[in-house]
Amino acid sequence: MGAVTVRVPAVAAYLGLLRTAVGGFAARDRLTLDQIEDLRMAVEEAALALLRHSRDDHIALQVRSTDRGVEARLDTGAPDGAVVIDETSFSHAILRALADELRVEDEGGRTAVVLAKHRMADGGARRGRP
Amino acid sequence: MTTQYTREDTKALFAELRRTGDPQTREELARLHLPLVEYLAKRFKDRGEPLDDLVQVGSVGLLKAIDRFDLDRGVEFSTYATPTIVGELKRYFRDKGWAVRVPRRLQELSLRLNKVVAGLTQDLGRSPTISEIAAAAQVSEEDVLEALESGQAYSTTSLDAPSGTEDEDAPARLERLGGHDHALENLEYFASLAPMVAKLPEREQTILYLRFFKGMTQSKIAEQVGISQMHVSRLLTRILDFLRSGMNGDAEY
Repeated sequence: MGAVTVRVPAVAAYLGLLRTAVGGFAARDRLTLDQIEDLRMAVEEAALALLRHSRDDHIALQVRSTDRGVEARLDTGAPDGAVVIDETSFSHAILRALADELRVEDEGGRTAVVLAKHRMADGGARRGRP
Repeated sequence: MTTQYTREDTKALFAELRRTGDPQTREELARLHLPLVEYLAKRFKDRGEPLDDLVQVGSVGLLKAIDRFDLDRGVEFSTYATPTIVGELKRYFRDKGWAVRVPRRLQELSLRLNKVVAGLTQDLGRSPTISEIAAAAQVSEEDVLEALESGQAYSTTSLDAPSGTEDEDAPARLERLGGHDHALENLEYFASLAPMVAKLPEREQTILYLRFFKGMTQSKIAEQVGISQMHVSRLLTRILDFLRSGMNGDAEY
């Protein structure tokens, strides 16, 4: 399967569109309802974190299918070295609980948060980590 | 239940009311049966509306029942009044439940899907995929997606039946869970957050703790707390919104 890219204004009111987009994509990729909801919530959390540091007028979301599941990459222009998601923050705890993979990429004046949710071999829900 | 010790009083009062039409007698009957309203209102209290409001709404139903009740029918008043009170409560949720106007077709589908999801989760032992939900509900995947989206327009006031059963007893379930005390302790790490978490109702604290600190899935939480998975999803979204708003200033849940 392919990928979907959405660009929304870097304004809180538009972040709901990112939730919708990632939810619709994940649903078509055979993730379970639990996983879809997790991913939607994680995308919103990541987008809000980016919004606080964004110096662009937009935030971009790319969702794509991978061998393991669905990957969502959110990015925006941010000052070099900006700590978008502090590892001791509640935001980070939420993202770690919601996503199977989480990484922050910071390069050339752009910051990206990459989140992934893995498909289960039988299509089932992945059990949460304790 | 509540009517046993008042059964004879009730009959006498109704006879008097029919004879005299005295508003005080009507009020007395209402007062006697308020526990019935409270009992019925509690069955709806997990749907995001304050219990006091629900008792008010139920009381309207009670008064209607008092005015319509016919002693000669030979049924107990509580038996007669229960469907009227419940009807009033349900109508209230039906009227108030949707934050955004959603077409009736989607409202109905969304409510039906709540049950389908609960059933599938039970059968599969895991959360279902969209195609599994579509197959079970005999609608297209597009319809399921549309209904799920519209479900987000459904405010915290929710008609969804807890775990697909009508006889909910959420407080008992929460007590059995016994874990909500830990929520605050675990959140102490995020010191700035603790006062906000303390403002959340116990059930919301439990959900927050189970999802983000115990890593429990939404379906599992739904099962434990005794509400639908979709309701867990809506509550989590609302809880996070509330916590975020608290970081920027004061907020009320």
